Amino acid sequence: MRFDTRTLVLMAIAIVINVVVGQIAVWVKLPLYVDAVGTVLVAILAGPIAGAVTGVLTNLIWGLVSDPTAAAFFPVSLVIGLVAGIMARLGWFKTIAKTVVSGIVIGIISTIVAIPIVVYMFGGVTGAGTDFATAYLVAVGQELIQSVAIANLATNLVDKILTCLIAWIIASRMPSRFTSGFPFYQRAGA
Amino acid sequence: MIGQAGPTTGRTLLYVPGSSFIHRINPLTKLVGLAWLAASIFMLPPTGMAVITAIAFLFGVAAGAGRTFVKRFVLTLLPLAVALFVIHGMLIERDDMVDHGLISLSPAGLEYMFGIFMRVAALLTVSLLFVTTTHPAVLLKALDSHGIPPGVAYLISSPLLLLEPFSARARAIRDAQQARGLDLTGSWTARAKAFPALLIPLVTLALSDLDQRASVLDGRAFRARRFRTVLDAPPDHPWETWARRLLLVAIPVEFGAMLWL
Amino acid sequence: MALIDVRALSFGYGAAGPLVLDRLSLTIEAGERVAILGGNGSGKTTLAHWLAGWLPRPGMEPRGGEMLAEGRPFPQWSALDRATAVQFVGQVPMQQLSGFAFTVYDEIVFGPGNLGLPAEEIRARAEAVIEACNLRHLLDRDPFTLSGGEQQRLSIAAALVMRPKILVLDEPTGNFDPESRDSLLDQIRRLPADLTIVLCDVALKPALAVAHRFVLLDEGRIVADGSAHDVFRHPAAAAVFGVPAVAEAAALLRAAGRWPAAAELPLTLAAATALFREAAAC
Repeated sequence: MRFDTRTLVLMAIAIVINVVVGQIAVWVKLPLYVDAVGTVLVAILAGPIAGAVTGVLTNLIWGLVSDPTAAAFFPVSLVIGLVAGIMARLGWFKTIAKTVVSGIVIGIISTIVAIPIVVYMFGGVTGAGTDFATAYLVAVGQELIQSVAIANLATNLVDKILTCLIAWIIASRMPSRFTSGFPFYQRAGA
Repeated sequence: MIGQAGPTTGRTLLYVPGSSFIHRINPLTKLVGLAWLAASIFMLPPTGMAVITAIAFLFGVAAGAGRTFVKRFVLTLLPLAVALFVIHGMLIERDDMVDHGLISLSPAGLEYMFGIFMRVAALLTVSLLFVTTTHPAVLLKALDSHGIPPGVAYLISSPLLLLEPFSARARAIRDAQQARGLDLTGSWTARAKAFPALLIPLVTLALSDLDQRASVLDGRAFRARRFRTVLDAPPDHPWETWARRLLLVAIPVEFGAMLWL
Repeated sequence: MALIDVRALSFGYGAAGPLVLDRLSLTIEAGERVAILGGNGSGKTTLAHWLAGWLPRPGMEPRGGEMLAEGRPFPQWSALDRATAVQFVGQVPMQQLSGFAFTVYDEIVFGPGNLGLPAEEIRARAEAVIEACNLRHLLDRDPFTLSGGEQQRLSIAAALVMRPKILVLDEPTGNFDPESRDSLLDQIRRLPADLTIVLCDVALKPALAVAHRFVLLDEGRIVADGSAHDVFRHPAAAAVFGVPAVAEAAALLRAAGRWPAAAELPLTLAAATALFREAAAC
């Protein structure tokens, strides 16, 4: 009852977008996930809690349809939605420049949240290309945690900045007839 | 019936239709079992994890999902094992490194690797067992009949149902854009530009009927009442209620045992 | 008290958008079968949304006038009461699936389940609409994999199972091939007599199959209201939906002077046959 029906439908659609975007990334063969576009979009339109729930359920659905271990990263998605919503409320999604800053903030915070999961659950390994960077850093003498952090931070930053920009573009192109139904977005301004 | 092969099984869902023992257990019981495991993996020793993995795998094969299990093992566990071996076995400096000519291995590192690997394997296998033997529709009915808020149930069912239609739309947009000259195989910047060109139309299209969908739901009295009448909820037996209680109680007991010992 | 009473309703989207409904007034009594005809942009779908209680919404208020259902505007109704008073079937079948149900049967019982009706009552109602809408062979299917026509039948079933007093349909056969269209219209015509039906459409033929009263909508205003001929005679009608071939042939005959001048132009084949026979007998 907390969310009205329109917000629920938005969240459901955003979850599907999150999952489908992974396919698009494969077509374009970019080493990015950009799997939080829906989460950030919901956060901009409907606030941090809605964004966080969208993120968590995306991981859950991902676990049901593809890889159950991906569900272990739900805290990361939760944090992305939460931080994006807070940044939106503080007005940091009003211009391109501010959106880039939001992307940086989200990238840093999400990496910080991801690291304990990667290190303690998965022994520092993500199963993605960043493992090579991690291995290299460990080989030249870095501690495991630092290696994981550095290896993942760069990709994460680019990924999240791109994610925030795309979400911002979509939100600003929505007709006001659509966004007027989302009071949170009005408050943040366009 | 729900639970039999349909257009979504084999393509969207990991669910494998069947009527094995595990299939017939109430989804809530399976869910609690999974939760128990997730809590326990940090408390049980690696050998215990190995045993659980083996048992879950056997149940999975008995349920007819052997192929899914093996595929997931290869895709997820194999790269994990290799990377863990390299990083923990070989690269991280530990006190007990033994030289084997070209490479040096650390038994403590290997033991650590084994621990992590077994934990992930156990979690993956039990999750797979849950997912391959539980159709989401049945899971949602079980939750629905036990009082889950309809909004939450909707947020799980709707994305699962919309996944295939949306993927189809994404493919249609890709084909249309390519026919208009969009380049997916060129330079980095070309591909980086192609990405929004594919994504933005999809999202805009997806959101265009949001008002309609919301109105349809409201029109059918969605969430007008706190509880819905659920037809054909999956059966729940007394032994399952006890099993769930036992598993839930076991978690703090294990925790206490771990602290104490 | 009229079942539906639209009083000088003016409405547009957004604060400064153009008026879609312009001081529109309309009353509908219980048991009527009304066709609201209009071209694209006439305000037909918007009016349908008002009649179904989908409007007004927060952020989408009227600019003037109001609409009352049984004497009260719909926003004052509870969601439960509104769901059992009026149901809407729109043009795009896939948009009308709840997204909550994995099978056709579950989609049908979704609404009554939300009402909290006892299980036996729900099953009984479901049986009735499954028969009426010919869905027996589709019950276990995923609603999203049905054809457009099947989804539309499912939408109608899902609407009827709520036992509304009013059924509002917006171009329900728009995407259909001719046979499915006739079959669906036949089904609509055979709905219980105490159900008030409002059919909004851009073509004359579906309306003729179902309605007893015809209303012509042009640029957000009602310009004709009465029999099919009243609508047909209005100057705007020809521009909106062309002229049925039958009537066109008759018009040509009349222009050539070989026609009983007083007779109405026939709109259906049956009326034309009767009229031509009469004319031949003279």
